[in-house]
Amino acid sequence: MTMPPAADTLISALRVGADIASIAQVTSWLGDLADEHDWPPAMRFGLELSVEEALTNVISYGFAQSPREPLIRVEVHGLEGGRIAVHLIDNGVAFDPTTLAEPEAVDSIEDARIGGHGVQLMRHFLESLTYRREGDENHLTLVAAPARAAG
Amino acid sequence: MHIEREQADGAVLLKVAGRLDTPNAKPFETSLMDVLSMTDGPIIINLAGVDYVSSSGLRALLVAGKAMRNSKRRLSLTSLQPQIREVFDISGFSTLFEIS
Repeated sequence: MTMPPAADTLISALRVGADIASIAQVTSWLGDLADEHDWPPAMRFGLELSVEEALTNVISYGFAQSPREPLIRVEVHGLEGGRIAVHLIDNGVAFDPTTLAEPEAVDSIEDARIGGHGVQLMRHFLESLTYRREGDENHLTLVAAPARAAG
Repeated sequence: MHIEREQADGAVLLKVAGRLDTPNAKPFETSLMDVLSMTDGPIIINLAGVDYVSSSGLRALLVAGKAMRNSKRRLSLTSLQPQIREVFDISGFSTLFEIS
């Protein structure tokens, strides 16, 4: 995936804990921002879904073997052309979801692997998904575009 | 997330409404598995009232789907909203489940 352009306008930011209740907190907050800024419904759906997938990974795996106090920050930035960038920053163990392999396509429910579909959905619904490790922090950037929503 | 259970032509009909997201996925899976263990025959899951599904919700359906297949029972899904159908298509679930 291509690198997203630099974010220009910080719309809002939220700090949450590393527990499952944070997922509802973040998706509800995104829904409020979508209403407030009139995001197209399909972009809102794809962004909300992608942020949930990324946050679920962080909460499920990021702190299981980490002695640190969990810090998770979510920032929403407005980009040119109505595109939205969500920065997910956490101090959990290094984890790059952009390198995850997608599940193999199978024809039967017996052969289907349980799990691994999150990254597949993120790649579909986002314009770009980029990761970098900065000091003790994971920085994941998710960019969604209204054009993708219209298509 | 809310589930209503009815009998329909010899099948169990489950009408699901709400969000099949990570916070709701485990309660949803538990509810499905409870219905599986308490009933015989086919199960139809009507998803008309579901407006959001993430991979956690898909996972719950897959667990139920595998259990139904192991016991040679029929599981079908109906009335998917377009964005839910898109999630099924992208994840390959459209070919794993009987959908009408």
